[in-house]
This record gives sequence, C-alpha cells and structure tokens, in this order.
Amino acid sequence: MALMPKRVKYRKSQRDRLKGNATRGNFVAFGDYGLQVLEGGWLPARCIEAGRVAATHYLHREGKVYVRVFPDKSVTAKPLETRMGKGKGDVDHWVACVRPGQVCFEVAGVSEEVAKAALARVAHKMPFKCRFVRRRHTI
Amino acid sequence: MEKTARLEAHKRQMLGTRRARRLRRAGLVPGIVYGHEAEPVPVTVSGYDLAVLIQHGHRLLHLQLDGEEQQVLIKDLQYDHLARSIIHVDMVRVALSDVVSVEVPIIIKGVAKGTHEGGILEVHADKIEIECPVTAIPEAIEVWVDGLGVGDAIHAGKVQLPAGAKLVSSPELLIVTCRMVAEAKTTEQVQMETPAAPEVIREAKKAESDQQKEQD
Repeated sequence: MALMPKRVKYRKSQRDRLKGNATRGNFVAFGDYGLQVLEGGWLPARCIEAGRVAATHYLHREGKVYVRVFPDKSVTAKPLETRMGKGKGDVDHWVACVRPGQVCFEVAGVSEEVAKAALARVAHKMPFKCRFVRRRHTI
Repeated sequence: MEKTARLEAHKRQMLGTRRARRLRRAGLVPGIVYGHEAEPVPVTVSGYDLAVLIQHGHRLLHLQLDGEEQQVLIKDLQYDHLARSIIHVDMVRVALSDVVSVEVPIIIKGVAKGTHEGGILEVHADKIEIECPVTAIPEAIEVWVDGLGVGDAIHAGKVQLPAGAKLVSSPELLIVTCRMVAEAKTTEQVQMETPAAPEVIREAKKAESDQQKEQD
C-alpha cells in the first residue's frame, strides 16, 4: 500500500463536499519551485507516490523533493457483482482532498530548468491541471 | 536609497465582500489606509498601477487620496488562491522621519562550496525583519553563500545589513544551510514502512479496557 495514516479515529469516512479554493498551502514554502494544482478533487495516494518517484528519479539525488499533501481520507468500494446493501464497503484506497491553488510538490537545490523538467514529469501523474510556480519574494 | 512613487487612490464607499469583488472585476484593488492616530480610510487603487509598483520594489508611496497627498508604506498584500493577482492592500501612514520595522526579502547569491561536494542548499527563511528609517528600506538583502560548506549554516545574526538598519528577527533565525541529500526512498521502502491498514484508536482503547477488565 502507498501512503496512508498510521492511526485513525474512524476507519471509514463520509464522502463530503469539497468547496472553495486553497487558503492554506497555496504558496511555495519549503523549496524554490513548486507545482500548483488548478483544479480541486481527490488526489489518490498512488498518484502522490508516482509523482514523488518521477521527480526523485529525474533529479538523481541532486535536489530535494517536498510533498505537501498527505492522503488522510479513506475511500471505500464494494466488491464486483455484489448486491446493494449489507453495509458500507471496505476501504479501497486513500486520498488527499486538494483544492484549487494547493502546492502539492516542491523542489529545492536545483536550477529552474531542471526543476521545470522534474515537475513537468510530476504533472503528468496528477489527475488535475497543474502549473509551475516559483517562490515569491513579496512584502 | 529612497525609492518612492506616486499612486492615485479614491475613498471607497463600497464596503463588503460582494462589492469588493465587483471592484476587483473592474480592475481595481480594495485597500485600507491607517495609522498615525487618524481614522482608517477604505480606499481603492488601480490594480495595474499597484502591481507595477510592487514589481519595481516600491514600498514607500506618495498616495494621492482624492487630491490630498500623504506618505504611506505598503504593510501587507493579499493574493488570490493562485497567487496571481493582488486582492487587497494594507497601507500605513508614515512620516519621512519615522523608523519602521519591516520584513525584507532575502536573496541568495553565489554558489555554495558544499554543492560541489554533493550537498544542496536549503533556504529556511526567505525574509527577515529589520528596523530602519522609512526612506532607507532596502528592496532586498543579499546573502552570499560562496563559503558555505556541507554542514554549514548562516543565521540572521551573520547577515550583513545595510547602514542604519537594525535586526529585529532573532539572531539565531536559520536562513540557509548546506547539507548532503538523503537518498530518496524507493516505493518498496515506503510500502515496508507503512502498515497494511491504519490502527483504529477507538478499537485499540477498547481492547485495552477489555484486557484490564479480564485482569480485574
């Protein structure tokens, strides 16, 4: 299994609505460059892991990759060819709830060209439209 | 170096979220002017003009507020969720003789010695707070990292400030470090570390209490 919490209060969670935009985690905080998602939704743990592997493979131990999202929501599914009812299905996978503007990955210690190429590879693994962002020096 | 610019502003009658949104759609940025023991005044400024001034590093402005001129310092900026456009600006009235405390961005310059030995440069803080005359606020503070080897660090106390500036941030504030990159974990290693299913807190507690009951 890919990323998931070590301890949870409840094994299964309700689906819930995902409204609004990211008001936290929407700027590059740790690295020099980042990948910002432009759409909201559920980001599965296997996509996060695929993105992390894609970036670290490309960087060849040159830089550091920061993952800014964690899949803390369980998603259940019923087995195939099962009749409805008999309670909620078993946990199938874990997802992170991502709102538009969230910076999911950051890269530090490499040039902009290398960071762009690495994060472009990560963007291919994401189920959302993404854009490359730099650390902003502002007031 | 004194860096000032003119910006035209108008008093804002349209208050509230929906009205502020309408102003933003029209290319204006809502803001507020306060300080110097005067009443706060909600204002609007041109979004384009403000963005240009910010891009050029201006912080001290001659604000033309309905024909009346006053010196203001840009205290805070709020950006939209994609960090693309400015949605609000805070401006504080200042006199040209004032000494103010401001956050100034840090720009890393040079190539660290440690990066040739396999290390990477990690930036921990991208701005520091300094106290300086309002007319001498630096656009940015340069930190040279040429001599930084693997395992070395630069703290705020070691940063060379411009003349007349005093450090407000803690001198122990970590600015930049150079360290070796830890080998990234493979997917197999990640899978080995994570359990097959997470522990449920309530069930663990229940099992504990059941055990205690049995012992009693």
